[in-house]
Amino acid sequence: MEELSFVGKSVPRKDGAEKATGKALFTVDMVLPGMLWGKILRSPYPHAKILRIDTSRAERLPGVKAVIAGKDTLGIKHGFVETPRYAPDQYPLAMDRVRYIGEEVAAVAAIDEYVAEEALSLIQVDYEELPAVFDPEEAMKPEAPEIHPSHPKVKEPYKNIGGKTESGWGDVEKGFAESFLVREDRFDGQLRTHCYMEPQATLASFDFSRKLNVWTSSQGPFIKRAKLATTLGLPFSKVRVLKAYVGGAYGGKIDLFSHEFCASLLSIKAQRPVKIVCTREEVFEAARHGQPIFVELKTGVKKDGTLVAQQVKVINNSGGYRGSGVVVIFLCWGFVMLCYRIPNLKYEGYSVYTNNPVRAPQRGHGAPNLRFAVESQMDMIAEELGIDPVEIRLKNARQKGDILPNQDPVRNCGLVECIEKVAETTQFKAKYGRNRSLPRAKIRKGIGMGVSSYFSGSLIYPNASAAIVKLNDDGTVSLITGALDIGQGAETILSQIVAEELGVSMEDIRVVAADTENTPVDIGSWISGGAYVSGNAVKLAASDARRQLFEVAAQELEANPEDLVVKNREISVKDSPGRSISFTQAVAASIAKRRGNPIIGQGHYRTMKDVPAHPSLATTKGRWSDNYAFDAQVAEVEVYTETGQVKLVKATTAHDCGFPINPLIVEGQIDGQVSMAQGHALWEEVLMKEGETLTNSFIDYKIPCAKDMVESHYVDIITEKYEKDIPYRTKEVGEGYVSGMVAAIANAVYDATGVRVKTLPILPEKILMGLRKKGDS
Amino acid sequence: MKKQLIMLRVNGESCELAVEPQRTLLEALREDLGLTGAKEACGTGECGACTVLIDGKPILSCLTLAIEAQGKEITTIEGLAQGSELHPLQKAFIQHGAIQCGYCASGMILNAKSILDETPKPTRDEILKGLEGNLCRCTGYNKILEAIMAASMGKD
Repeated sequence: MEELSFVGKSVPRKDGAEKATGKALFTVDMVLPGMLWGKILRSPYPHAKILRIDTSRAERLPGVKAVIAGKDTLGIKHGFVETPRYAPDQYPLAMDRVRYIGEEVAAVAAIDEYVAEEALSLIQVDYEELPAVFDPEEAMKPEAPEIHPSHPKVKEPYKNIGGKTESGWGDVEKGFAESFLVREDRFDGQLRTHCYMEPQATLASFDFSRKLNVWTSSQGPFIKRAKLATTLGLPFSKVRVLKAYVGGAYGGKIDLFSHEFCASLLSIKAQRPVKIVCTREEVFEAARHGQPIFVELKTGVKKDGTLVAQQVKVINNSGGYRGSGVVVIFLCWGFVMLCYRIPNLKYEGYSVYTNNPVRAPQRGHGAPNLRFAVESQMDMIAEELGIDPVEIRLKNARQKGDILPNQDPVRNCGLVECIEKVAETTQFKAKYGRNRSLPRAKIRKGIGMGVSSYFSGSLIYPNASAAIVKLNDDGTVSLITGALDIGQGAETILSQIVAEELGVSMEDIRVVAADTENTPVDIGSWISGGAYVSGNAVKLAASDARRQLFEVAAQELEANPEDLVVKNREISVKDSPGRSISFTQAVAASIAKRRGNPIIGQGHYRTMKDVPAHPSLATTKGRWSDNYAFDAQVAEVEVYTETGQVKLVKATTAHDCGFPINPLIVEGQIDGQVSMAQGHALWEEVLMKEGETLTNSFIDYKIPCAKDMVESHYVDIITEKYEKDIPYRTKEVGEGYVSGMVAAIANAVYDATGVRVKTLPILPEKILMGLRKKGDS
Repeated sequence: MKKQLIMLRVNGESCELAVEPQRTLLEALREDLGLTGAKEACGTGECGACTVLIDGKPILSCLTLAIEAQGKEITTIEGLAQGSELHPLQKAFIQHGAIQCGYCASGMILNAKSILDETPKPTRDEILKGLEGNLCRCTGYNKILEAIMAASMGKD
């Protein structure tokens, strides 16, 4: 096989120097002449009717240039999901009712932040408070206050159902009856939040051609453009979303946010640029958090641990609007069925409205919680059967060649190898259970495993990616892509692909990215398809450019295109030293002799080329993804039995991401997810009381800091390969496939202490209580 | 409030500016001097993104008033490279994958510089303890530690 020079190498980030020198401009850094500052007035009530909004005093305050409330909008709703079944349900500015504390009610633009802040205090809003409900299971009861009518297609007499997913196959009742052991457990996830370091921020500028230009801290410009244009009643072509560096997102910056809409409308109204930067408090209190989900899990197995039947019920607390609630209940089905072969399954997921802030995807979008449930129970079953955790997983693991219940083929799957290798590397079997025979120790060590899988791109608007690879007169290359680098390294890996295909160095490539007007469409950095879908689009564009270069070169060198090789911006005839032409010469020749063709390569790609749409969110029917990534992870912990504290000492990840385009970036993605899993499993929780956020700072909501750093090890399982001119099938690496770590930590804690915690986070008091209950403290 | 005329020395240059007494150093740097490398992520001294060096020591510029910084030598991330030659820490951060989204990078690198200035050959724990006040949500700190260790050993 041809040796690769760039793909598969740990090439440093392309934007490294810009970021390391402070020159990279994030949305918060953007300034335009005449720029105004916007501020948002938010609801102080979890549930209330808006009777009257009087903005007149604010409008009269000197320095105020525009004030908007619901009546100034077109009253067009939006939603994370917009389908016939799930119609948009949220106004970008509240009209007649508010459904959570922090919901946006009005906004002002003024000459500075202080005047804007003062203007907010002059807006008079009369509310009539309504009864509110915060817990999803309370909200489902018939006597609960109605936040939105239950979805018409949900048959049960539950209230406040935003959506339902129902799926299954086989006969679970028969399966349970035939099982040797049946376990029923419930696992509760907590409310977590992203904690991207750059707060939500938007700069909008409505120009004289009546076009709206928007810089916003996001995860992809094309979905933002679509939602802004729709809610503002503008043609797509009159909204331009441009690139700015993004200071982290992790799922929390996908959907349309009110501040983006408000900055835009204020700019239209004031005819001046308007910038809104949310404070950290606003981010904690009113921006979207992750999805807290409850999982009821009933599993039947044979005596040897083979899965026979599984019944799963997932309840999600979606907050005052759907947000991504109806997506997470679909996805949880997927995260159940991907890793193990389950002959009989019954799945139901409910997304429930409550009077809490709306929820968004958060890295893994349900996978960490769902896998926490399944993998915890897997260990409980293994223990009851006297099988070790490795064997029970191997017995049930998904394998290459399987057809998933939705008919997706599992073309390549390294799960078995992941489990075997991670167990071997960590000496899992030797370490597992070692504490149980030891006398009571103050520090107990434990080891635990979790496995996970994730899809790699699916069909959600904008569905596809395209790219342009343009040769320049000096022989360098411009890559024009709609992909947005949010820190995951999109621009770097896409440049590596161009470098590989064209035989140019990383420095020879200039990237123009993420501009809805000047770059082609891109699926966005939120559907786990960047490396696969955008990567293949770029690969095709680069090989198109190379084909054109070779045609010219063949003519100039009087050779066959098949005999040409390319390296260092030079095309030469194989085995004929001296017969070569530089890119600069080739471009000049192409312009001179091919009617001015400057050599522009184009490519486009879409996952599942013949499939019309995303699978049904209601029934899960239909193809979901082309590629699935798999992993097995092991956590090694120390538990301090006097304090109940857990230290995650070492994390080992065996992962099948197809092949790593850039191993350094893959490692970085794994480290980041291990760190998030540590916080998720052990301490992070957004505490709320009657709709009010109590943890609204980094002091109250602690994320892992440097001293919490976990030793992270990686085992690469390579199941795919990269070859020139052939689309490749690498898999996602950014979110869900290392979602086994939360479960691995929980299982390691159990191994160390014998305490099984089923409600996250695994706080010290839960361990102490567990130890006391066992008479073991 | 009435503005005061102050003189700040930033990255070796003197700059005169009129600020209100409550203006933070971070605001003065970012908004008055256009040095946007220092970032605000919390505004309340919890995250370290706004770290700059005053007389070589790391401080949180969101909790420091601009008027307090008069007469002192302020170094921001923009002042670390010598022309186009990056500081060894900047090189090491790039080389080792210590930067992802990059929002925390300027504070992180400046704090790392102060750690190495004080302890040229720090241990792993000394580095991690020194970085405790600088939050990063992307990297899990592993590659940051590697980068600083490498820089302390004179490697990129």
